[in-house]
Amino acid sequence: MKAKHLFITLVSLFSLASCNDQFLSLTPETDRNTVNFYKTAADFNNAVVGTYNALKLSGVYGTSLYWMGEVSTDNTDYGVTTRQAVNVDNFQFVDHTYTSLNDIIYAAWRDHYRGISRANAILTRIEGATIADNLKNQYKGEAQFLRALFYFDLVRLFGDVPLVTTEITTPDGASSLTRTPVEEVYKLIISDLQSAEQTLPVTYGTADVGRVPQGAAKALLGKVYLTRKDWATAAAKLNEVITSARYQLLPKYADVFGFASPTNAEILFNVQYKSGNTGQGSGFGPVQASEGARITGGSMRYPTADMDAAYETGDLRKSFSMKPSYTDATGQFVNQRYVSKYVQFGALASDSDIDFPVLRYADVLLMYAEALNEVSFNPEAVTSLNQVRKRAGLADTKASDQASFRLAIEQERRVEFAFENQRWFDLVRTGRYAAVMNAKGLKVQDFHNLYLIPQREIDLNKSLSQNPGY
Amino acid sequence: MTNLSLYRNRIWLLALIWLSITSQLIGQPTNVITGQVSDELGQPLPGVTVLVKNTTSADRSNGTTTDAKGAYRLSVPSGNESLVVSYVGYLSQEIEISRRSVINVQLVPDNKSLNEVVVVGYGTQQKKDLTGAVASVSAKDIQRLPVSGLDQALQGQVPGLQISSTSGAPGGNTNILVRGIGSVSGGNEPLFVVDGFPINNSGVGNPLNTINPGDIESIEILKDASATAIYGSRGSNGVVIVSTKRGKSGKAQITVDAYVGIQEPARLLKMMNSRQFAEFVIEGHNNGWLDNGGPNAKITDPNSVRSASYRIPEEWQNLNSLPNIDTDWQKVIFRTAPIQNYQISAVGGNDKLRYSMSGGYFNQKGILISSGFERYSARINLDGQLTPRLKVSMNLAPTYTSTDNVPSTGHYGDFNVVASALSMPPLIPVYNADGTYGNTNALTNVGMGAIPNPVQIANEYKSTNAQFRLLSNLFAEYEIINGLKLKVSVGTDFNYYTTNTFKPSTLSSSASVSPATSNIVNTSDVNWLNENTLNYRRTFGAHSLDALGGFTIQKSTTAATTTNATNFADDLLENINGGQITGGSYVVGQWSLMSYLGRVNYAYNDRYLVTATIRSDGSSRFGSANRWGTFPSFSVGWRLSEEPFLKGLNLFDDFKIRAGYGLSGNNSIGNYRYLGLLSASNYVLGNTQVPGLSQASFTNNNLGWETSKQYDIGLDLAFFNGRLQFTGDYYNRRNTDMLLNKAIPSVTGYTSAWVNIGELENKGVELALSGKPLATRDFNWTSSFNITFNRNKVLRLGTDGEQLFSDGGRGDVSITQVGQPIGSFYGHQVEGIFTTQEQLSSHATQTGAKLGDFMYKDIDGNRVINDADRTILGNPQARAFYGFNNTFTYKNWSLNILMNGVQGKDVFWAGAVFVRGYHGVQNNLAEVINNYYKSPSQPGDGNSPRIIRGALNNNLRYSSFFNFDGSYLRIRNVTLNYNLSQNLAKRIGMQGGRIYLTTNNLYTFTKYPGYDPEISNSGDNMLASGIDYLGYPPARSYTLGLSLTF
Repeated sequence: MKAKHLFITLVSLFSLASCNDQFLSLTPETDRNTVNFYKTAADFNNAVVGTYNALKLSGVYGTSLYWMGEVSTDNTDYGVTTRQAVNVDNFQFVDHTYTSLNDIIYAAWRDHYRGISRANAILTRIEGATIADNLKNQYKGEAQFLRALFYFDLVRLFGDVPLVTTEITTPDGASSLTRTPVEEVYKLIISDLQSAEQTLPVTYGTADVGRVPQGAAKALLGKVYLTRKDWATAAAKLNEVITSARYQLLPKYADVFGFASPTNAEILFNVQYKSGNTGQGSGFGPVQASEGARITGGSMRYPTADMDAAYETGDLRKSFSMKPSYTDATGQFVNQRYVSKYVQFGALASDSDIDFPVLRYADVLLMYAEALNEVSFNPEAVTSLNQVRKRAGLADTKASDQASFRLAIEQERRVEFAFENQRWFDLVRTGRYAAVMNAKGLKVQDFHNLYLIPQREIDLNKSLSQNPGY
Repeated sequence: MTNLSLYRNRIWLLALIWLSITSQLIGQPTNVITGQVSDELGQPLPGVTVLVKNTTSADRSNGTTTDAKGAYRLSVPSGNESLVVSYVGYLSQEIEISRRSVINVQLVPDNKSLNEVVVVGYGTQQKKDLTGAVASVSAKDIQRLPVSGLDQALQGQVPGLQISSTSGAPGGNTNILVRGIGSVSGGNEPLFVVDGFPINNSGVGNPLNTINPGDIESIEILKDASATAIYGSRGSNGVVIVSTKRGKSGKAQITVDAYVGIQEPARLLKMMNSRQFAEFVIEGHNNGWLDNGGPNAKITDPNSVRSASYRIPEEWQNLNSLPNIDTDWQKVIFRTAPIQNYQISAVGGNDKLRYSMSGGYFNQKGILISSGFERYSARINLDGQLTPRLKVSMNLAPTYTSTDNVPSTGHYGDFNVVASALSMPPLIPVYNADGTYGNTNALTNVGMGAIPNPVQIANEYKSTNAQFRLLSNLFAEYEIINGLKLKVSVGTDFNYYTTNTFKPSTLSSSASVSPATSNIVNTSDVNWLNENTLNYRRTFGAHSLDALGGFTIQKSTTAATTTNATNFADDLLENINGGQITGGSYVVGQWSLMSYLGRVNYAYNDRYLVTATIRSDGSSRFGSANRWGTFPSFSVGWRLSEEPFLKGLNLFDDFKIRAGYGLSGNNSIGNYRYLGLLSASNYVLGNTQVPGLSQASFTNNNLGWETSKQYDIGLDLAFFNGRLQFTGDYYNRRNTDMLLNKAIPSVTGYTSAWVNIGELENKGVELALSGKPLATRDFNWTSSFNITFNRNKVLRLGTDGEQLFSDGGRGDVSITQVGQPIGSFYGHQVEGIFTTQEQLSSHATQTGAKLGDFMYKDIDGNRVINDADRTILGNPQARAFYGFNNTFTYKNWSLNILMNGVQGKDVFWAGAVFVRGYHGVQNNLAEVINNYYKSPSQPGDGNSPRIIRGALNNNLRYSSFFNFDGSYLRIRNVTLNYNLSQNLAKRIGMQGGRIYLTTNNLYTFTKYPGYDPEISNSGDNMLASGIDYLGYPPARSYTLGLSLTF
């Protein structure tokens, strides 16, 4: 056919070089996009930093973990008494009457998975990238540690959760994922941490302080084993951190949270904050002009009377962690306890430098004591506990058998890690959440050992079932 | 063979016999007749055939054609009584000779003739051969209207094409919809094709203003899929093809067109005067204090006891000793504004080279002080026949437009001049005694709002746009063999525009001074196109074939630079140079498109018509896995009028049934939408903030066009030699794969993703009737009427809760949800006013309600009125819209009346929350003071609430009280035209001319109480349409025009 030949000639004439996919593949010149990303070491570094950033999201250390880990226990109260439409979600943590529309719980689900997706993108793509091995190993280790941390939170908060280990690349990529049994999730967490433990640097240079070191991977692995009731393995792993002699208890409890030095010998891993109105500041702690003079803003969560009474007489930690009252901006005395652990004088609202602890050496010691005691009550466990008590200005523990030592650990963790999002996780781990709360008149039942799955997620993925009891 | 065709053959035989007889009559005495033939404008028509009646063209001795001056000379054998004058595109006339020796003839164009050539995508077709829904508008229907853009001129003239102004400002924007709203998140505007170039409809203000309506020869609107599928992924919202005037062989014709006129506000609102306003304030503030001032509040409480909101300015408290100020703020901001337009054009050429050139200037001052629009335009269209087989053409059209904007959207706090003029108390003077602007600053402490002085805004706030556009196009067409033409075109559209805004320190919505700010946005939009088509046209016996194949590529790059500044030393420099640069941005957007297209038109025996088209588009906007989309269409037509069984009836000139189905796409989904973008996700390392990145959106390589699946069934009828014509269409347009931000499980790491998921349906009926009810020698009446009924329904959204709310400037007042039309109004239904205690106690619990407050309907029946009791209150989309056009011609005079209207649409008058809010704060309509509920014994008109500031019942919440029927009928244009007689024209050395008087927007019949039911604040956002937030009202204009051809 003549016309056809002509047409073909025509097409080849006028399309020339442009007649290929290049002509149609345009990428934004003024917006960063994924097309040329995940190629260089700098790209992966940016992606890893972006994954650390997920720790600060409202569903992780930003807000949700405090509500789910602290306010839901006998440690803190909401502090607001007027019930309004806007604080329905908050009161659910006081009343233990959660609904699947709770936005704080939804944020936890959403933002942990957001962090996981950032880590997954790195882990999916880094193998094929040509970057130096040492950097590749470090970035991989960091991503694995963070993924394990996010999954460890998720599996403890929600139980069986969809297990995603590679980057999801289509919008419906998670629309029919079922809940993976807890066992499987832990398998990934453990393998991630075991791998991270191998590849993470022991320490970092000054410019990289804040990245996760090898010790943190070991400590988190210890915590995972402890949670799995794998006592001996937990003890052994935690002992590796102790015998490394890289970490120690600071002489003064208050120094652990000081803002002048963001990390110190007690910190294995924390969430890094920095003031300067760049969105990197911490929102914990009310704004204070000076000691005892509270101005406004900040934490709306208040220590309970029960928390106030939990400290033994002479405990040096108490006066640092909480205050019984304050003077407000107009000079009025306000008889209201507040959390002072994260206070930075002179900081603006939601813009303080105080880092939030995730793993610190006191935790390692107390976990080690707990693990050893579960194998059998023994002196080394007692020594570990007493180290922590000594720093707090307290005498050695009087616990004399496995059962009483368990309670001693429970008490010690409560005051040592007050307002550090540990209480709920600790009590659920030891199976004592309902019992302890009920003893104090809080209406908690065993099904509260897991939070409920957000309704939005069930609506969008019919394969997800709700946790029992809800 | 049927009896009918036998009959037809007999007629031919008779004619031949008669001819042979007449030819034998030569030799009889003859008369010489001379005269001139002119067109409807009185301009001479060369080449017109003038025949003695019953002469066939084979016998030219009894016929002639007019010369270049339109003159003819013909010898007519005596006994013949009439002449037949005919010319392509004009109605033939038969003229009795009546012993005259000079017969001048003026021909009337046959606009709706069946042989009319219609521009369709990538070619032309005769109207009778069309199988798709294509409407055509000629130059004279556009140029009659004194408006800045072709869109405003098209209003009401085409069935299925709905055009509504979003602002009455000079050069103001319009909303253009072909067959309803076709997209939720993507674009809704049709594709504009100017002389074959699909342009980016981009720019500042209304981009269509860059096309001088005076240059337009015709506009075609492609409506159904059969017609638009040739434009593939850009065709689903319809296509508007604009063709500009081209040169004609013959003597040069130089035409000067000019009109000048004045404009005034089409309507003013009757607002309260000073005394009414003071009464209003006292009533509202007293009631407010009683309800909010605690248990001991009394209306006798002085200001010192009251909280600020409920105080009454001391000097306003006694109605009999009010300050002697009564400012009519509307009078101050509106003016009678001039409008003028000048164009000079030249058309001419020979058989080798033809040209059409024009230069134009348009200047429209706005009826709001300080506003205006200006356009300088030029165009050169050249056509050259280089060899018998090679033709080249060039179009070059530079345009410069500049606009002075006055803020006229939104809240008066955003410096909306209209809103502030209507809200401003009449007790405030425009200027104080010391010459400063009157203001409300002193009143904010005594219960009044802070309203900026509208005159000050108009004078001091600067917002200017400038746009330069050069549209150019080069074609070459080579006829390879007879009927086979290769056409290659290269076109470019260079479009540069700038917006400069400056807010001086003297302007503030609340304080006397606030920092000056300024910003400038510079945008360049460069768009190029190459099209290569091969066209084969041939007739084999009863078969006729027209086939087209082509390949096109197009690319567009838009780059916008924004610079912001503040900290101005003074207000002297009204741009960023006067201050310190505080920031800026640079954004580049590109798209590219590569397409293969093909079309076959086949006709058998002029009766059975088939059209099939296909286009395959590859677009940079689509995900890599879905880069190419193919859009086929198929349509058939059956011209029953050509069938022997109908032809013999001699009833129908045309009787055609059309049916078509096809796919077309909407690629207005934004550039790079499929690509995952990275956003800054920084963190702190080493006690320093370090940059980090994370994916902010999903990469969806499957993301693609929105698909429109449309079928159309149409009927074309023409009777009585084309004196009556009817076109009707039924269409069903189902849009699938609509782009939506779908909610997805957050396990993915994202909560939503752009996917092609939504579905929408538009179905409707279009009817158009036109005819010549009267056609005599001196008096003619032509009339046309069109009406469209469209129903829009959302079928699927995929968003959270399958619904979308849109903020209409007053909260979420528009809802788009499955089963309802897009952007339905959503709020509380007012059942009435509480006038008795029994009503208050028996009605569902309505916190804060008292006598005189609105009674809201308990929709969910739970006996409590809250947000859950909101319901659908109305539909902003018209149930029907129509146009009615009449032309009466008497000798040299003609009168044209164009009307258009909309039926069954609701308008949320957001502005009524201010000017009909019964709150005693901003000024209100005068009717409020007569209608309001005062007490059980003075209940007002029964529908109006009490006047109260801070009603605990929140009477100002969005409710049906603020919704109105937006139906209207508008006398859009009335033109009285006088054509210069030939003799007069000649005497003053011209070929022809006309003079005309036009009034635009003469009167609007409507129940709507605001300025105009058509103006919509939300512009192109169809999710929140039909909201009147005190925008720029439309003008009424009176113009006097002149058109002279030399």
